[in-house]
Amino acid sequence: MTAIDLRGVTKEFPGVTAVRDLDLTVEEGEVYGFLGPNGAGKSTTIDMVLDLVRPSEGTVTVLGHDATADSVEIRRRTGVLPDGFSVYDRLSGRRHVEFAIESKEVDVEPEPVLERVGLLEDADRKAGGYSKGMRQRLALAMALVGDPDLLILDEPSSGLDPAGVKDMREIVAAEADRGATVFFSSHVLAQVEAVCDRVGILREGELVAEDSIEGLREAVGDGETLEVTVDDATDAVVDAVRAVEGVSRVDADGDTLLVSCDPGVKTRVIAAAEDAGAVVDDFHTEEASLEDLFLAYTEGEGTPRRHGDAATEEVDA
Amino acid sequence: MSLLAVANKDFQDTVRSRGMVLLVALFSLLVAVFAYVVRPQGQAEQFATELLLSSFVGPVLVTGLVPLVGVVVGYNAVSGERESGSLKLLLSLPHSRADVVFGKVIGRGAALALATFAGFLLPALVLIVVPVTFNAGAFLGYTVFAATLGVVFVAIAVGCSAAVATRQRALIAGIGVYALFVLLWGLFTGRVVGAFSGPIEALPVSMAQIRTFLDAANPTSGIELLANAFLGDQLFAGESVDRQISAVAMLVFWTLAPPLAGLLKFERDDL
Repeated sequence: MTAIDLRGVTKEFPGVTAVRDLDLTVEEGEVYGFLGPNGAGKSTTIDMVLDLVRPSEGTVTVLGHDATADSVEIRRRTGVLPDGFSVYDRLSGRRHVEFAIESKEVDVEPEPVLERVGLLEDADRKAGGYSKGMRQRLALAMALVGDPDLLILDEPSSGLDPAGVKDMREIVAAEADRGATVFFSSHVLAQVEAVCDRVGILREGELVAEDSIEGLREAVGDGETLEVTVDDATDAVVDAVRAVEGVSRVDADGDTLLVSCDPGVKTRVIAAAEDAGAVVDDFHTEEASLEDLFLAYTEGEGTPRRHGDAATEEVDA
Repeated sequence: MSLLAVANKDFQDTVRSRGMVLLVALFSLLVAVFAYVVRPQGQAEQFATELLLSSFVGPVLVTGLVPLVGVVVGYNAVSGERESGSLKLLLSLPHSRADVVFGKVIGRGAALALATFAGFLLPALVLIVVPVTFNAGAFLGYTVFAATLGVVFVAIAVGCSAAVATRQRALIAGIGVYALFVLLWGLFTGRVVGAFSGPIEALPVSMAQIRTFLDAANPTSGIELLANAFLGDQLFAGESVDRQISAVAMLVFWTLAPPLAGLLKFERDDL
């Protein structure tokens, strides 16, 4: 069964289309990272899953239920860490968790979950005095109450210090091990890398990529960057390297050539350079960083090319 | 139960607000001042609890101040949470929007009722201690009417709060309702009835009947009618019994209709 299923979903607000014809499927038990820059439509999508916002077109199905008609039933089985929420300043952290327990009609004590998010010591303080990170932990505690089948975390790491980010990652992993589906959004790529089975990248309301991290890495095309240091980077050498099949781009930086190429063409690149009369002093490879990958998807003029269909204009770029 | 979970949360949140404590203190002080004003002057004079309530506390504090407190307690119920973002936390839990609106009416209504009792309690203690004849039954009973009026205005204000997106608009709507019912009702209805006197004559009702209806339709005058009947031992008895029943019906109407109307809008909104 699918945990979240969006079919042809469009959401228009006055003057702006926040989400455009979106198809998205999250399988039960998977950890799905929902990526995109701020304003890409991630929160609007999550709001539609939670029935805070109704789609202009299309259908949203969550845990087998219609998102609008059966929203309460969905939320009974879903833990949510919303984005841009605020707490009840006058109520204690413990009272917040008790409220979640009463609301979900489960029979558990608040202490274990407060302990789990690291708030037990501050549980009796008013939440109005909590730091941003503590509020985030509190909302996570409320989300975890009742062992939900689906966890929806909207920008869960915002406001957290590095230790908090690590705790959050561990909790996500533990929940996934328990069998929960985890759907979380982020504009920071590093957070999804370690925990996600699959990643979807949203840009201007459209899903521009959806794959595993490895799959995305391949799809970006610039599989690796080869740094080749030669004695003299003449135009002839540069042209020779450019001509190698599988090389998409060559930049000369002094005597160093930065070669974007498919994995496995390294030896041919070096051979081509030497054939053109250069002496190769040094070379090493760098994997395309995920950050490059993310930027390629979210800032480029379109969907990045799959490797193989080399675009000639980029060779001279 | 979802509705009661929301009500309980909102009750606890409301009674912890500093504004609430201030209002109770102010209210207590004012009731005490009025009690002092009508204290027995001569030797033989009886202290009349009923007089204190129906002539002093009633017109000024109860019909004037309690509805205002109700509006203040209710106006930010939904719109305030919407503006601050705590509504996202609330609706991440399995509550329907109807449970949110009516849970808030119950929770904040209960908080206001408690505040009204607290506000009347302190002056009552003073009156019991000082050597005057004090009719505790009348005093306590009257408090129930005052609290009821407050709850009606909480319900109206929560309805406004659910219907609009911001706290400010909810406050404007709430103050508008207060002004209509408390300050301008006679003037307003007089004008309307005057303007439609022609068509009204064609109806099988007299002008007097319409005026009576309008009087009972206003929750403040409805409560006044009921409370005075109570103080005169004429509750649901005597010549005004028909009007008392209409007043009760209208109070029920004003408690349910505004939150329902607000909910209709709130249900359709993107939050």
